[in-house]
Amino acid sequence: MGMSDDEIKAAMIEKATKAPKPQLYVKDFYKCDPDSKARKIKNLANELVKEGELMFWSSGSTTMYARPDRIKDEEGDEGVN
Amino acid sequence: MAKHDTPMLDELENGPWPSFVTDIKRQAEKNPDCWDILGQVELSYKDRITHWKHGGIVGVFGYGGGIVGRYSDVPAQFPGVEHFHTVRVNQPASKYYSTENLRALMDLWEKHGSGMTNMHGSTGDIVLLGCRTEALEPFFYDLTHEMGQDLGGSGSNLRTPANCLGESRCEWSCYDTEEACHHLTMHYQDEIHRPAFPYKFKFKFSGCPNDCVAALARSDFAVIGNWKDDIQMDQAAVKEYIAGNIPSNGGSHAGKDWGPFDIQAEVIDLCPTNCMWMEGDELKIDNSECTRCMHCINVMPRALRPGKVRGASINIGAKAPILDGAQFATLIIPFIEVSADNEFENVIEVIENIWDWWMEVGKNRERVGETMQRVGLPTFIQVMGLDPIPQHVREPRSNPYVFWQAEEVPGGFDRDVDEFRKRHAA
Repeated sequence: MGMSDDEIKAAMIEKATKAPKPQLYVKDFYKCDPDSKARKIKNLANELVKEGELMFWSSGSTTMYARPDRIKDEEGDEGVN
Repeated sequence: MAKHDTPMLDELENGPWPSFVTDIKRQAEKNPDCWDILGQVELSYKDRITHWKHGGIVGVFGYGGGIVGRYSDVPAQFPGVEHFHTVRVNQPASKYYSTENLRALMDLWEKHGSGMTNMHGSTGDIVLLGCRTEALEPFFYDLTHEMGQDLGGSGSNLRTPANCLGESRCEWSCYDTEEACHHLTMHYQDEIHRPAFPYKFKFKFSGCPNDCVAALARSDFAVIGNWKDDIQMDQAAVKEYIAGNIPSNGGSHAGKDWGPFDIQAEVIDLCPTNCMWMEGDELKIDNSECTRCMHCINVMPRALRPGKVRGASINIGAKAPILDGAQFATLIIPFIEVSADNEFENVIEVIENIWDWWMEVGKNRERVGETMQRVGLPTFIQVMGLDPIPQHVREPRSNPYVFWQAEEVPGGFDRDVDEFRKRHAA
């Protein structure tokens, strides 16, 4: 039996908390449950944003996810939008 | 009264064209924060480096797109642009507006933002330039509740879909581009507002191969109107064009002495596949060779029209990045029915096939066209569940190798080679 949604979400939060860089691509979360479809992981990441566990970080061209307490506002990157 | 000296920017007002500097000065009389834009840009010209910081965590609650964070890296000098976020607003299909709507939108933007706009961004959005973080939520509330409009796409989202004027103005449109664009915009609200992909993904809908919205060059998924029967032809009108009684190109070559219309030089000899000729005073077309370049139809619109069996071609993988690597889309599906009657289910099926694959296989910040290039067209076609067709081949092969799939080889790749060699010596 595969992981429940809550178990996958917990694994995603742990990953976002412990990853060396605070910002993660949605693809970085795929390994939290390799058996889940990419679209399901994307939906769970967005649920975590609604719940306040993750937040979006956008360069304009690329969107990443981060734990709110690991990221400060007014950071920049060099992407293009 | 100018707040900063801007000698280099002032130079830009001396040319023959309208200048953004003049526009910003005019706006600064209403909103003094705009003087700081000019001051910061002047400093950038002097330092030869941008003073905008790019990106951040701005947005409105629940949305992962539609707002692009911009911050000044010299806020003490230019406090008016300390925050200067860009807001993208989803444009109406074909960009039809009422002046009432535009006035209300501008009033809203002057209330919450700088009042500066960019009509439109390359994806088609109404781009509103310059907003402080604390003004974003009030602006978004008014936009959605008072105006009934919504943000567009940014980041790793489905970007705001765009379409040509389609059947609303154009008799050549092979499907209802406005309906298709609107339907898919509504169908994919979640993908527009919340990041879903390895990178950006763009839809564009053109009604005919003239491709007025430049879908072939700019969109990851281009739906370009097409027909699969013969070009409709009115031989009487062809004769009228030849006789000079109907101006060619809708009269667009009437301003100078272009000479009499020459169907051989201006139409037949310019056909890229040489599929047209005259037999006596009748124009003939070998429709099986037509590549839908639209030239003959554009020149003689009253004599030639797109066929009656209409739909679209699906072209995948274009991109037009600012820095490098622009590429056209690749024709994947030569003809597909595009109909509101079945809620565009044929198109949706293709889109979701691509997304499911790209979300798994695409690397971070890799457009779908780059993923296609990396895995190769044969693999992509196989993933899409399509049979290869001549239209997928750009040129005859230049190497002698044939690559077989295991299922195409009797016994697969695990067959007993020693047994095989007993019958076929090496």
